[in-house]
Amino acid sequence: MKPDDFTIFANISLISWGLSGIIMSILFFREVFADKKHKFWVIVAHFLAISGLISIIIFVVELWLLLDRPPMRTLGETRLWYSIFLVLVSYLVYLKWKYKALFVSGIMFGVLFLLINMLHPEALNKNLPPALQSAWFIPHVVVYMIAYALLGMSWLVAIFGLLPYFRKQWKGRETVIADNLVYIGFGFLTLGLVFGALWAKEAWGNYWTWDPKETWAMITWFAYMLYIHYRFRHNKNKITALLILFFAFILLIICWLGMQYLSVGANSVHTY
Amino acid sequence: MKKEKRPFWVFPWGYRESFAVVITVAISGFALSFILQKEVSAPTWPNNIITGVILVAAILLFHIFFPKHSFVKWLSGSYAAISSISFYLFLIILMGFIPQNSNNSLEILNGSGLSHITSSHIFLFAQIYMFLVLGLVTLRRLERFSTRNIFFFLNHFGLWLTLFAAGMGSSDIKRFTMEINKNEPSFQGINSKGESSGDLGLALQLEEFSIEHYSPKAFIINAKTGDIMSENQIFSLEKNAKGNLGEWQIAVKDFIEYGIGMGEKFHAVYDIGAAPAAYVEAKHSSGNIVEGWISCGSFRFPGNFLELSEEKLLIMAEPEAKSYLSKIKIYTKEGEVYLADLSVGRPVSINGWKIYQISYDESKGKWSEISIVELVKDPWLWLVYAGLIMLIAGAVYLIITGSRTKNSEL
Repeated sequence: MKPDDFTIFANISLISWGLSGIIMSILFFREVFADKKHKFWVIVAHFLAISGLISIIIFVVELWLLLDRPPMRTLGETRLWYSIFLVLVSYLVYLKWKYKALFVSGIMFGVLFLLINMLHPEALNKNLPPALQSAWFIPHVVVYMIAYALLGMSWLVAIFGLLPYFRKQWKGRETVIADNLVYIGFGFLTLGLVFGALWAKEAWGNYWTWDPKETWAMITWFAYMLYIHYRFRHNKNKITALLILFFAFILLIICWLGMQYLSVGANSVHTY
Repeated sequence: MKKEKRPFWVFPWGYRESFAVVITVAISGFALSFILQKEVSAPTWPNNIITGVILVAAILLFHIFFPKHSFVKWLSGSYAAISSISFYLFLIILMGFIPQNSNNSLEILNGSGLSHITSSHIFLFAQIYMFLVLGLVTLRRLERFSTRNIFFFLNHFGLWLTLFAAGMGSSDIKRFTMEINKNEPSFQGINSKGESSGDLGLALQLEEFSIEHYSPKAFIINAKTGDIMSENQIFSLEKNAKGNLGEWQIAVKDFIEYGIGMGEKFHAVYDIGAAPAAYVEAKHSSGNIVEGWISCGSFRFPGNFLELSEEKLLIMAEPEAKSYLSKIKIYTKEGEVYLADLSVGRPVSINGWKIYQISYDESKGKWSEISIVELVKDPWLWLVYAGLIMLIAGAVYLIITGSRTKNSEL
């Protein structure tokens, strides 16, 4: 199959998610301002979110078959995974906490990342260098993308907490969701870090070399560690916690997307 | 209720004291680096084990004899933990922005140790502080047994053990690269400073080197500058391949995996230095057709390109390696001989050494007569792995349970 034949699945996801997000945001505003509930449209939004997920999974499977290697080699390919996990996480968070605003922003970021990929298609390079042909490759990338999605959601939670705080009408609901997202996200972050170390030992003979990417992964890890310990100590002072959370994600973004703009990043063995 | 303000340095210590400690330690670290003008190297055997024992003894002594002392309570508490994490975070953020171990660092960065943070006094102090805090909090939690504390132990002691074993063991890691060939066994490698390894207790000889390549790719380049003009497009040169590059429609009419050019034509010849060659037809959108042989050539034979227009050339890039493998013979001091297959990501263990496939003579590619391997010995590795496995278990627990904060606290 040629990419032209299955790009349709990515388009379907893009449209379904976009519609799902729009419906949800309309419902959100109607609930807030008119206090009305619309059961039917909620179901439609659910249906669209799920069909978008199924469709994008078909797309990834087709891409994987076409490339004949895991589609995880390039930055663009990680964006694809990120959009999947972001939508999945925001959907699960919505199911648990019924937090519509979070669902809408999560799904919209998913749409944004998918859109970036579709507007800047990468060349379909089938080559996979020998060092990447490892059993650790897939788990390393996947757990990182899950962690990034969870922590990205926690960043949105932090913003949703900080905004009403500055308008002096905050109820403090956000930190509960943030704590859960960060604990789980931190767990995945730890797995990613450790898998990376084990992989590096098998492929290059070193488990840790302070490669710039490793340094930044460590920075990210410690930043979220700081949040967890701060929250443990100060259950009441939520605003500082949310600020830590906000800045921790900025560090994560530097680690993930910003390396190529840093002078130290030039010598990294990581392409993303 | 307003709390009465506690005077500075009176127990129990809080943030002020914790960060005052960290800042004092940081300043002394910088000062020491400036005065001594020396890098800190990790203690070598047996000094590392002595340092390790002293450190562990200090933690145990604090815990056993002064468990109620306010200083020990502070050191195993959240304030110290948060200050320790912040200290460490601060240093690695500096590392994230300041290029490390580069030759053209500013004087001020070299003097303060900021250009080589992991071997500076300040980093050493941050490590010791973290060892103390992590060690004491682990012991304190161990006294109260519960499932949750098991995972607290795994997360905290796992990190302690990983950092400890990696730090103490770093000077015991031996690492040598060795170039091996078919003619005779190699006995010695060289380290990163170019020093010879001396007798390693084993010798390696290359039996056979094989390499598999991906299909070579075609690019359009600027004839004057050599810049690739078809950057975001990939065209793999294979038999009967068709596709587009820029404004050109490319079709492969003939493909030779091992060929040598003679005059205008390439012939299939399997000889040292033979390189892939393709006969391609390029059709411009205006209808103009150009055809001819292209080849990336090799160290022995010249390649060929196709002139599409005055400023555009169609070239074949050297094929990228898909996998490479060295069949090697290992001779040990005891007179044993082993045969092993070595490839990237699949090291071979023998007599405490791990042997890695690193590289080959890349200018010769398939025809490389040597293989470059690395021998690594890390006697502390099992301890590092023990720590990492604890971290994995702790992480899985975090993922399953999430946070303790529940909706009821809303």
